[in-house]
Amino acid sequence: MRVGIEVGGTFTDLVAIDDGQVRVVKVPSTPRSPDIGAFNAFGAAGLDPTTVTDLVHGSTVATNAILERKGAPIAFITTAGFRDILFMQRHDRRNIYDLKYQKPLPPVRRRDCFEIAERITSSGEVIAPIKESDITDILVPALRQGQYDAIAICLLSSYASAAHEIILKTILERLLPDVHITCSHEVAAEFREFERASTASLSAYVQPVISRYLDRFEHTLREAGFRGHFNIMQSNGGRMPAAAMRRNAITALLSGPAAGVVGAIRQAARSQRSNLITFDMGGTSTDVSLVQNGEASLAPETEVDGLPIRTPVLDIVTVGAGGGSLIWIDDGGMLRVGPRSAGADPGPACYGRGGTLPTVTDAHVVRGTIRPDAFLGGAMKLDTEAAHLAFADIAARLGVSVREAAAAAIKLAVANIVRAMQLVSTERGRDPRDYTLLPFGGAGPLLAAEIADEIGIREILVPPNPGVISALGLLSADYVKVQGVTRRQALNAEAPAMLQSAFATFQEQAKQEFGALGLDGALDYSLEADMRFVGQAFEIPVALDTTALTSLREADLAARFAEEHQRVYLHGGEPGRKAELVSLRFGVRRRLDAMPEVYERPSNMERPPATEIVVDAKVVPARIQDAADLVTGDSLTGPALIEGYSSTIWVPPGWRATRDAGANILLQRED
Amino acid sequence: MAASERLDPVEYAILSQSLIAAAREMGVKLIRSAYSTVLREARDGSAALLDAAGGTVAQAELIPMQLGSIGKIFQACAALYPVESLEEDDFLIINDPYSGGQHLQDVFFFHPIFDDGVVIGFAASVAHHLDVSGGSPGLNPNAMDLYAEGLIIPPLKLNMKRDWHGGGFQRLLRANVRVPQQTMGDFDAQIAANNIGALRVRELVQRYGREKVALTMAALQDYSETRMRAAIRAVPDGIYYGEAVLDDDGLGSPPLPVRAAVTVAGDSISVDFTGSAPQVRTNLNAPFASVISAAVSCVKAALTDPDIPFNDGSLRPISVFAPKGSILNPNHPAPVRARMISVSRAWNAVMRALAQAVPERVIAAGYDTTTSFCLSYLEPHGWSVYLEIFGGGYGASIEKDGCDAVDNPLSNCSNTPVEATDQDFSFFRISRYALETDSCGAGEFRGGAGFSRSYEILKDGVRLAIYSDRFTQSADGIFGGGAGEHGGCTIMRDGQAITVRSKDAVELRLGDTVTITLGGGGGYGSPALRSEASLLRDVEDGFVSADKARLWAQAAAD
Repeated sequence: MRVGIEVGGTFTDLVAIDDGQVRVVKVPSTPRSPDIGAFNAFGAAGLDPTTVTDLVHGSTVATNAILERKGAPIAFITTAGFRDILFMQRHDRRNIYDLKYQKPLPPVRRRDCFEIAERITSSGEVIAPIKESDITDILVPALRQGQYDAIAICLLSSYASAAHEIILKTILERLLPDVHITCSHEVAAEFREFERASTASLSAYVQPVISRYLDRFEHTLREAGFRGHFNIMQSNGGRMPAAAMRRNAITALLSGPAAGVVGAIRQAARSQRSNLITFDMGGTSTDVSLVQNGEASLAPETEVDGLPIRTPVLDIVTVGAGGGSLIWIDDGGMLRVGPRSAGADPGPACYGRGGTLPTVTDAHVVRGTIRPDAFLGGAMKLDTEAAHLAFADIAARLGVSVREAAAAAIKLAVANIVRAMQLVSTERGRDPRDYTLLPFGGAGPLLAAEIADEIGIREILVPPNPGVISALGLLSADYVKVQGVTRRQALNAEAPAMLQSAFATFQEQAKQEFGALGLDGALDYSLEADMRFVGQAFEIPVALDTTALTSLREADLAARFAEEHQRVYLHGGEPGRKAELVSLRFGVRRRLDAMPEVYERPSNMERPPATEIVVDAKVVPARIQDAADLVTGDSLTGPALIEGYSSTIWVPPGWRATRDAGANILLQRED
Repeated sequence: MAASERLDPVEYAILSQSLIAAAREMGVKLIRSAYSTVLREARDGSAALLDAAGGTVAQAELIPMQLGSIGKIFQACAALYPVESLEEDDFLIINDPYSGGQHLQDVFFFHPIFDDGVVIGFAASVAHHLDVSGGSPGLNPNAMDLYAEGLIIPPLKLNMKRDWHGGGFQRLLRANVRVPQQTMGDFDAQIAANNIGALRVRELVQRYGREKVALTMAALQDYSETRMRAAIRAVPDGIYYGEAVLDDDGLGSPPLPVRAAVTVAGDSISVDFTGSAPQVRTNLNAPFASVISAAVSCVKAALTDPDIPFNDGSLRPISVFAPKGSILNPNHPAPVRARMISVSRAWNAVMRALAQAVPERVIAAGYDTTTSFCLSYLEPHGWSVYLEIFGGGYGASIEKDGCDAVDNPLSNCSNTPVEATDQDFSFFRISRYALETDSCGAGEFRGGAGFSRSYEILKDGVRLAIYSDRFTQSADGIFGGGAGEHGGCTIMRDGQAITVRSKDAVELRLGDTVTITLGGGGGYGSPALRSEASLLRDVEDGFVSADKARLWAQAAAD
């Protein structure tokens, strides 16, 4: 049996698959010790740990350690003269008119930052050698005194030569054997010292927390008789054995959204769809990403709480529009949705827990797309009157009816999500109309058709159990490692040879690493070259075919780069402008076997045949369909609600919904 | 009927947000496709969308100084080249400070956006260019007039096809700049940003129609005006006075005052700089457009929520006056390159005046100085120019310490990573970059800490040019807070320290180490009120020395 457990902020989701049988469970999370919630889910699903062959786990433990600044006490060591790298940051303000602006707080105190005399140039040449006596006589005693759990090292130019970082680490490991040490070249071998230092310090900061958590988790599993593979989800959309995560935890940050995208890609493949715009709409926010040819694009960098993390992550844009987002009118008279949210308590007005401000969920209740009797499989009855009352003030101020105000709120929420979709599509030179929209999360399928209409998409694919697609993503994630290195190289006749040799080195290293982790079998490789015109500072990723590297010519590289530059900036540079390669990003992937199929979980709930929904200010009758009863080949036209265990699909007039052979529900525009 | 009332509230909200998003995208693409460190790393550039009459509607929030004046500068162009006379592929360009520009390094591009042959708006971008000719590379601190500061571009109407892609104007520019590879690339980045903005507006017009887009452009300006006025109405009526000083004119003068009288009357504010120093012979003079930007930026930052879009509507409730012939409104052709110094003091004077009216909203004076630090060297293949903009410590507020080591409130330049300068420049190497202990002003909330950066010079004949301020006059604290430490610049040569003035040009030698030090911000409230825990943390983290901390604690005992 394969099991995926995703620990989120509110809910812990479990998906178990065994011989085509799917079990789906949602239990409340236990933020203080997330593993308790995870084991509760095990219990609720009635699983026997001894029968689990493969367990994949995703959690917010690492992210929360940073957000709450509850990581380990760490020290930071850098080149003499640059102790303040983490405090200087980039000398800018995120909000230019905020007089009370403060920089994001680094995970290490200034008193715990140390220097070592040494210097290497950008070409990797040593101009000031590192002295062993400086390390043993000055640094080590100070580090001993600090009683640190972990140490982050970031020396200048270590992306060009890691020699000094390795010397320093080797000596410290010998003299301070209990302290975990993270070198910047291990986590982000790319230039720009602050971003690399930030990555190394955050990695060191969360490492002891993750290690302890995984130890405890695995121990409890083993106690219960678990003998299978224990894997952890990464933010790059792949999994790694827990053992590897104990060495480099930084890739475990923000794995939740990545798991959802992976689940969406896998499920869409069953319906032969590989160009997708996915969106996961939750309570407070919506995550959007673009998938090209079955691959989610990677961003080279992300940030947590304002601190940069230079590690390849799935490129996901988050917008503050979720089911709980508040609808309000600002002091300039403009209608707004979010980013403030009603949260879980009091929650939307319709929850009847004392909330009086209207939310997107309340708007759904007012127009009828959320039925008060069918929320959470009927487990929670909603207060329709409270939802109406909440909109009264806004309706009065806009001079419209409550229904119109609710419709306006929905349109605005749709517009906010569409803008996030434009960030990942039109801003990067992709036409959203070439993609299939794939909604998931509890609230996604309710808005999908309206979002599609707004952005011009004509086809929507809704996976079964859209509320737990993240947990499904865990199960279906391949083993993945992505590694960036800075390799500055002019785009000339020597560039192809450099690429071939760098790739061969990575390939060899990846084979060894995966072999050591017991990951045998065929490995797939990918390679992106970050390129720019000479003088530019920001690069454009250019994907290269690793199977055709041997025949790659300078002219091919130049043409590929010009094409990508044109796509993003609407020009390809003046003739004769020289280009260069800056960084390379290698990926290695061991694919999983084919996944067993998944189906809707039956909801076993009585439903009336029809309900009333407000469409364009008119009340229209809409059919109600239980998602589990819509079997392959079944089809219906809007207006209709397709209700499932974890979410509801709104099929407006003009759309047709069909259960396809891939077990997904395909929505298509009829005209 | 107001423009917003002629629009459906949802379409209005959606179109507004779309215009703001388009301007933001222009800014992102301007920076990301740029070539020079000053644009791509320091991000010294801005972008905006204008309506058909040239009113700014939405801007990419990059540099406050540039944002306040884009609309004014456009008017100088439109006066010569009426909007109706423009054709497809035309664009307008200007950098002349005496026609509404800022300083010659800031070159503005305006591209008309056409729909069906009719101009429906403009995409605008401005960038600080590393070198636009003039008496010396990057920065000429000795310029005695505008002509010595660079190539003057009066308002011009040009055509992309005829004058740019290999055309005459482009070749003229290329022939006059010292680092064409970077500067011409940065111009292309500006054009790319404008093309993107125009494309996005045309997409909105296709979807919603020309009329709705035009109405939204008007409504969004009204919206900012409404919110600005609401904020001003909350300030008690009255006349409030503030003053700040510049170190000197760079030629050894006594400190130069900048004075502001701020009159709040209902929902309007007027700012009068009468009483400020007369114009000077050096480059500290501020063109009037930049003074308006400074005054409005200060009012907006102090009184309003940061989410109000900065456009021409936000300028309407505020009037600004500075006497002709003063340092804040000089006569042609006085040099203006270092205008940021004077307008920063104008910003300080307005903030100081507002402190009397709304003490909970203001901050103490910070280092608040744009230090322009330029190293140049003539390599065998041509000039190599390094230019970096430094801020200092921020002023403290009623509830927070000032931000440490950050750019001037009127600017928002990032630093250039040491590893980027290592790659790009072979004639110097950065050897130290650190916060300065005891640079912050004492207070219940302390000022932000200052910092320093040191450069080892690796070649003979490297040229240092600098303008800065607060080398002698420090940033005052407020409501009992102490002043921040002042800044300075020194050269260590053969064991001897050579002092560099705040406005200076010096030839360097192999083996020199130049250190530029930027001071801290002023404190807010008496240091006697600072919590023991905060002071202890300051000492343990090295922001305040034990000796200084004893003085702060002493204030508590007295």
